[in-house]
Amino acid sequence: MNWWRFVVANEFRKILAFRSDFWVTFIGQTVVMVLIARALWQSIFEANGTEVMEGFTLPMMTLYYIIVPLANKIMTGENVGFLSREIYDGSFNRYLIYPISFFQYKILTYLTHSVFFSVQLILIFCVFNLIVGHGLSVELLINLFFGIFIFLCAACVYCMLAMSVELISLWADNVWSLMVMIRFFVFFFGGSYLPLDFFPSWANALLKFTPFPHLISLPIRTTMGLATTTEIVTGLGSLFVWGIIFTMTAKKMWAAGEHRYNGVGI
Amino acid sequence: MIKVTNLSKTFISHTKEPGLKGSLKALIKREKKSKLALKSVDLEIQQGEIIGLIGANGAGKTTLVKILSGIVHPTSGEATVLGFKPWERHNEYRRQMSLIMGQKAQVWWDLPAMDSFILLKEIYQIPEKIFTDNVEFLAETLMVKNHLTTQVRKLSLGERMKIELMAALLHRPKVIFLDEPTIGLDLSAQRAVREFIKSYQKEFKPITILTSHYMEDIKELCPRIVIMKEGEFVYDGTLSQIQRLLGEEKSLSVTTKEKKFTISVPRSELSKKTAELFSTNEVLDLNIQDPSIEDIIESIMRNGMTNR
Repeated sequence: MNWWRFVVANEFRKILAFRSDFWVTFIGQTVVMVLIARALWQSIFEANGTEVMEGFTLPMMTLYYIIVPLANKIMTGENVGFLSREIYDGSFNRYLIYPISFFQYKILTYLTHSVFFSVQLILIFCVFNLIVGHGLSVELLINLFFGIFIFLCAACVYCMLAMSVELISLWADNVWSLMVMIRFFVFFFGGSYLPLDFFPSWANALLKFTPFPHLISLPIRTTMGLATTTEIVTGLGSLFVWGIIFTMTAKKMWAAGEHRYNGVGI
Repeated sequence: MIKVTNLSKTFISHTKEPGLKGSLKALIKREKKSKLALKSVDLEIQQGEIIGLIGANGAGKTTLVKILSGIVHPTSGEATVLGFKPWERHNEYRRQMSLIMGQKAQVWWDLPAMDSFILLKEIYQIPEKIFTDNVEFLAETLMVKNHLTTQVRKLSLGERMKIELMAALLHRPKVIFLDEPTIGLDLSAQRAVREFIKSYQKEFKPITILTSHYMEDIKELCPRIVIMKEGEFVYDGTLSQIQRLLGEEKSLSVTTKEKKFTISVPRSELSKKTAELFSTNEVLDLNIQDPSIEDIIESIMRNGMTNR
């Protein structure tokens, strides 16, 4: 299994191969998102004449929206089409020729991106806390550690969900729009666009039975120190169950669809 | 050894009428079309042999290579390569096999070649000493020593092909599938790749299946050729045999006032046909020669062996 290490190292090299892209992703996107969220929520808080909304103060809301773009990236790892695009253009052939499991290879490359974005999150989270004067207390670092752990678990689960859907490309050539739609659902019901605390209670009760809140909202709340121990334990349990369901689905999809693969693109 | 028995492959695709109307119609109902890409073919190749697989576009060459390399499943029939069914994708088989696709990069585009090689070393579990020796040998023979640390996408087409060859041969495969390895290369790069394949074949004696549209590749590298037409083998034998077999014909290149054309005529009918040409046309020039191997093969690919 030594090749795992080299796949990860190569994937990191690929990420770092483009300097400008690296810096734009690292700083540019976060700064823009924070400025927009800060301005938007400041005006919402002012318009409501309140300092706390659904348990969130303005600095907390700002931190939430600092974490959100990186949370989305950690969870979604590689871009939409990381498998379907390769099936479509035939570059998928290489995984069938090399004496390794393509599942393992793709999960590894996917998670390498997630780890890379996690490092970004750690740096930005620490810088934010230093700037606002919270410092880096032990409690804060423990929350961050558990948050990152849940983020990576969520990334594994989403990777298997994405793989199940992307494998549909063995039947239908293009699954791009389907993936974008699923992504929208996950972001919306996961709390990327609006914290789930702003959703009605009946919606939150229903969402608990889906994987969505555990993919984004739970790790963000854990990182911010808002999640209770019960919430974390049940959330992780739910992620585990969904992980098994999506893994089995992906395996079944591959078993059923691999006969249809025709290696177009050679 | 490679043994193929009654191997067939049918591809199903969807058809769509042209135009906007066709696109709208296809949203509701699509017509299925099946294409028999391989029709019960049989083949045997011994260790150390190199064969040239030739045929027009769509003849089934790449389909056969895809099945033997384990990329696609056959619809029916049997095939074993080194004792393995390729489409079962045993790691033990894949460690002894290599596929080089002239039109498809396998090394990682955004990385220097050496990074890809190091990953392949781990994937194929190549011992350090053998890996170092192989990189040294291949880089020297292919003259790409200076390009190993450059991002692959920044290399020229010829250099990239050499890197692809290196990547595919690092683990010294016992079976090599070369799918148009010289496509798009300039003449000197083509020659270099050919020379390399020749010397590699001589030294390591793998089973090699080469598909190419360049007759020069086939003539230089393949003592045995298999000609495919519409999913079937229409000829399986040596190049010299084919020339002898069809040497009873002469090629007549005729220039008249109106046009220029070439026809094949049986040797026994040569004088009759020549007289006929002179009586029915105003012949300005006539050249009688043995048909070239390219002409013979092109004719077989068009008409098969029996209808020539």
